[in-house]
Amino acid sequence: MRDAIEFQDVHFAYSNQPESLRGINVAVREGSKVALVGPNGAGKTTLLLMCNGMLRPTRGEVRIGGVPVQYDTRSLREVRRKVGLVFQNSDAQLFAPTVWQDVAFGPLNLGMEKHEIEEAVEQALHQVGMNGYERRPPHHLSGGEKKRVAIAGVLAMDPEVLVFDEPTSALDPATAEEVMDLLDELNHEGRTILLSTHDVELAYRWADEVILMEDGAVLRHGSPETIFSDPALLHQARLKPPAVLDLYRELSDRGYFKDKTPPRSALEFTDLVEGLASSMPAHDECGTIHLWDAAGTDSTALAALLSSGSVAWVGAMGTRAKRRASEEGIVPDFTYGVIDKCLLRAVAGEDSLILTTGGMLDHTCERIVTYARESGREIKIRAIG
Amino acid sequence: MENILDDYAHQNALRDVDTRLKLVLGGGAIAVGILSTAPVAPVLIAVSMAAITVFLARIPGRFYATLLAIPLSFAVLSAGVILFLQGGGEPLIALPVGGFTLTATTGSADMAALVLARTFAGMCSLFFIAFTTPMVEIFAVMRGLRLPAEFVDLAMLIYHFIFMLISEAVATHNAQEIRQGYTGFRNSLRSFPMLAGALFVRAWEKGEELILAMDARCYDGKFPLEERKDGPSPQSTAAVAAYLLAVGIIALLTRGIQIF
Repeated sequence: MRDAIEFQDVHFAYSNQPESLRGINVAVREGSKVALVGPNGAGKTTLLLMCNGMLRPTRGEVRIGGVPVQYDTRSLREVRRKVGLVFQNSDAQLFAPTVWQDVAFGPLNLGMEKHEIEEAVEQALHQVGMNGYERRPPHHLSGGEKKRVAIAGVLAMDPEVLVFDEPTSALDPATAEEVMDLLDELNHEGRTILLSTHDVELAYRWADEVILMEDGAVLRHGSPETIFSDPALLHQARLKPPAVLDLYRELSDRGYFKDKTPPRSALEFTDLVEGLASSMPAHDECGTIHLWDAAGTDSTALAALLSSGSVAWVGAMGTRAKRRASEEGIVPDFTYGVIDKCLLRAVAGEDSLILTTGGMLDHTCERIVTYARESGREIKIRAIG
Repeated sequence: MENILDDYAHQNALRDVDTRLKLVLGGGAIAVGILSTAPVAPVLIAVSMAAITVFLARIPGRFYATLLAIPLSFAVLSAGVILFLQGGGEPLIALPVGGFTLTATTGSADMAALVLARTFAGMCSLFFIAFTTPMVEIFAVMRGLRLPAEFVDLAMLIYHFIFMLISEAVATHNAQEIRQGYTGFRNSLRSFPMLAGALFVRAWEKGEELILAMDARCYDGKFPLEERKDGPSPQSTAAVAAYLLAVGIIALLTRGIQIF
């Protein structure tokens, strides 16, 4: 696979300061989800600002899609269209008087035609679930809404790579998870995503690959399991292991879990622990997971199912499904980590319903079938409508 | 709390009425009020504009009254000054103050009443615009009037950064307050310049951040503005025309009426 972003021996120093990047050699594969993790002052933000030419390396080279970044105005425009950068502080990013004007800023400056701009803005706001907010001023929005608008402003330029500096800092936990869900959705569309974070739980669950940085250099680049399983490495980088891995490690130090892969989620961990129990509780039948295509027009089957009262839990996955849920007057119990939570409920013998759209329908089925096969349980999937 | 006026402008019941129409109504009422030579028409304008703002646009009356009290207190003061400094006509009252005698005449009383009425009319009309029309819509009209893009873009950025500056000021003020920054006159005297200094530095930093943010999205000298396609409805246009015509005629007919 091609590399979306490639750093080759990148050095950088702010004027009259010691070097803040000391020879970075790292590459981000196209279509991957990569988390840049490290303590304060490790140089994460500096590195991210190089991804779209906001900063120029004092030595070394940055390549975007295999092409070295040129720092003349014309080339920089192309680079910034391809690589969208979302700042940590949404207030710093939103400067126009209304949401519409802010999202339209990129497309207009790229020289799009009027109808193209309108289309791009409409679509970007739709993707982040913020249509209907066009004429609101950004300073009237909540933190999560501001973050979504900031993402829309970058999406409107249709970038191939999205770079986020601390996307979930200053957001409450549920909003943070929903923003991460949105990033997953964008990744499903084939966009490469690189983000920086302190949040090890988030990085561990979400990322395909983790780049661990410390003091202007890359300490390690690898899978989340390998990096977060190394206590010495984490200590050096002033991080702590994710709770699931911490529990897993303590239990394996006591001699459990021989040759098992470390769990990535609460679901995997629960199964591992259950496998240990010598006397398994007599299993009732697993619950059924109902699936409803939230893009469908006919909601009679959905209404019938909900009014029958057999479904104990409802999850909405993705922006469109969430919007549809609120239109149908459904308050979902799960708005993030939906598949895992519904699987956990199913194993506990309860029925659930997942609302989702498009390619995520297939993805959901696949996840459930794979899980059922690997765990040897029989979990029924029923498409409704 | 700091941007409550702006909040009302965004939520009032007349938000979706065509901006140009609202500006013509407010502006027209101001013009008629100022051109009137007798207080009847301005009082009528003031009362009707206040009624439109409170009842049609559904702005809470209490908040409206509080806000209106600020400019009106100034107007009352200046009317008082005019009452005793202007001359002409018959003397009405004479107040001996120490060695002087302050005399109000019929001429000065009429003048004071007119000034008060005009100010009242002007403020109510201006408040109508301020409460029903968000700045954002006025920017669109400014661009529609072909004002220079540099001027309109700058105005938009200034508008946005007013709120940034206010929130910075509130945050810094709170930080000083919790450490006794404003207990006693001396402390206040010390804290305030620090607040101003900190704000200057923060504003400078925000400016640099703005340049970064604009560059990151390929800034090329253009600032978007949403264009509204729908014009004013014929009914509302007719209503505004009828209103302005009516107050105009009343101002003409009552131009000779004096109270005193």
